[in-house]
Amino acid sequence: MHAHRLGRALRGSATTIAFALIVIPIAIVVVTAFSPLDYFEFPPRSLSLRWFFEFFRLENMRSAFLLSLELAVLAATLATVLGTAGALFIARRRGVLAELLQSLFLAPLVFPTIILGVALLLLYKTIGMPVFLGLLLAHCIVGLPYGFRTVLGSAQALDPALEEAGQSLGAGPVRTLFLVTLPLIWQGVLSGWLFAFIVSFGELNTALFLTGPGITTLPIEIFSYLQFQGSQLVIAAASTLQIALIIVMVAAIERIVGIGRIIRAR
Amino acid sequence: MKTAWAWMLLVPPLAVTLLFFVAPVVYLFWVSLHAPSQSELYGHALTLQNYTAVLTDSFYLRIIERTLGVAATILAICLLIGYPVAYFIALQPPRRRMLVLLMLLFPLMVSNVVRAYGWVAILGRRGVVNTSLRDLGLIDAPLDLLYSTQAVVIALMTILLPYMVISIANTLSALDRRYEEAAQALGAGPVRTFLHVTLPLSTPGVATGMLLVFLLTLSAYVTITLLGGPRSKLLVSMVYDSVSAFQWPRAAALAFILLALALLVTVVILAVLRPRRVQGTG
Repeated sequence: MHAHRLGRALRGSATTIAFALIVIPIAIVVVTAFSPLDYFEFPPRSLSLRWFFEFFRLENMRSAFLLSLELAVLAATLATVLGTAGALFIARRRGVLAELLQSLFLAPLVFPTIILGVALLLLYKTIGMPVFLGLLLAHCIVGLPYGFRTVLGSAQALDPALEEAGQSLGAGPVRTLFLVTLPLIWQGVLSGWLFAFIVSFGELNTALFLTGPGITTLPIEIFSYLQFQGSQLVIAAASTLQIALIIVMVAAIERIVGIGRIIRAR
Repeated sequence: MKTAWAWMLLVPPLAVTLLFFVAPVVYLFWVSLHAPSQSELYGHALTLQNYTAVLTDSFYLRIIERTLGVAATILAICLLIGYPVAYFIALQPPRRRMLVLLMLLFPLMVSNVVRAYGWVAILGRRGVVNTSLRDLGLIDAPLDLLYSTQAVVIALMTILLPYMVISIANTLSALDRRYEEAAQALGAGPVRTFLHVTLPLSTPGVATGMLLVFLLTLSAYVTITLLGGPRSKLLVSMVYDSVSAFQWPRAAALAFILLALALLVTVVILAVLRPRRVQGTG
């Protein structure tokens, strides 16, 4: 009986410590973003929005924010379209080829992205790739596993009889795809898109090498500010905006497909 | 007709993955085998010199050693804290389990630069710890907590902890409780049941968690730079520094040494834990 109680105490205290360590740093950033002072003070004595105004007043911050948004939308769309195509090809197949392709499409998930960043930089330098297109393709590769995996799950759960019915009623493969398959798996497609968006919006390791002068994403802008100008509070505002956008995205996934899907998608 | 259509679906994702994932990595390996050049990205002569230069230099060897040390410490703490948390989560009713997992998943979506900044705000010279200690009158001058290996370990450990917890919790919740009940019915106490039944059955989740945490530690350049500063550099910092110095073949060789390290540790973790010997979802 004694060991049981000890076990419960151990689990409870570990959980408390873990959540404190995970949540407190994020909470501190959010709270300081509303500070009215020039310097860091925690907890702040009063609240203001001055650093958010400062954020949108600064040209480089504003353009980094917009570029990150644009990039995330385009990269998530590209990654989801490609991921959906790949998932539909693999969903009904068995064997070595299907296994191999699945590992290939999921590989960016575990492959050290810093190496991908250096590799892409070298390739881009050799072939003369424009900065924005290069970033877009890098973010697409990083987001691809998310688009691929959620759609694969939905497509494998799909009853093949439904697609066969569409075909036997005279629909060609393209019409079957758009009128039967996609309407049935759209939840998977959409949550894949939202995940790819979130991943692209916070992406660091490839963007570190691929951003150029005047073309910088928000996480990289935050990083270079922290490195070269110290921790000014406008960084806290930038970070809080980043967090706010993710909350909106997670709420959207929850509304559309429910939280069960969010957990399983990882 | 039907097969032709299926192959048309495959071509775009396969082409993009091959062109912008496989090809650049192969090209990087090719570059790592060439001598450096002043005028071009890399010289013409084939050589292994980039690898031998790194692997015989005591400076780089010390950095590799430090990288492995930091990674091992982070893995150990993550496992020690993460396992009981995962166990706690697995024992919750399904609805609440989902909510707790979501609370762990959310921080993973926040960019690592933001989470590292949170730790800078805590450990910096004018950070939460130093101002609180000064307000309490315990210190006169701020302590140097930032820019140390310990700061890197604390920050990276908390940033990556959710991966460990989620991986183990997934395995533990899928586990058939009847195994534990059977062990207890056969007279095993809670400690023996845990050590001989629950722990071995959860190795797939432990292996997944350890692999994720280790691989992400290796690439975490931003966190390592912000918390470690110039004196606590790890292997990934060397890759970045070589790129900044336009030493392309050197950077390429360092990247592949990092990759070799990743593969080596992956093989070791899988060999030790042998997650496939039991059934379960990782």
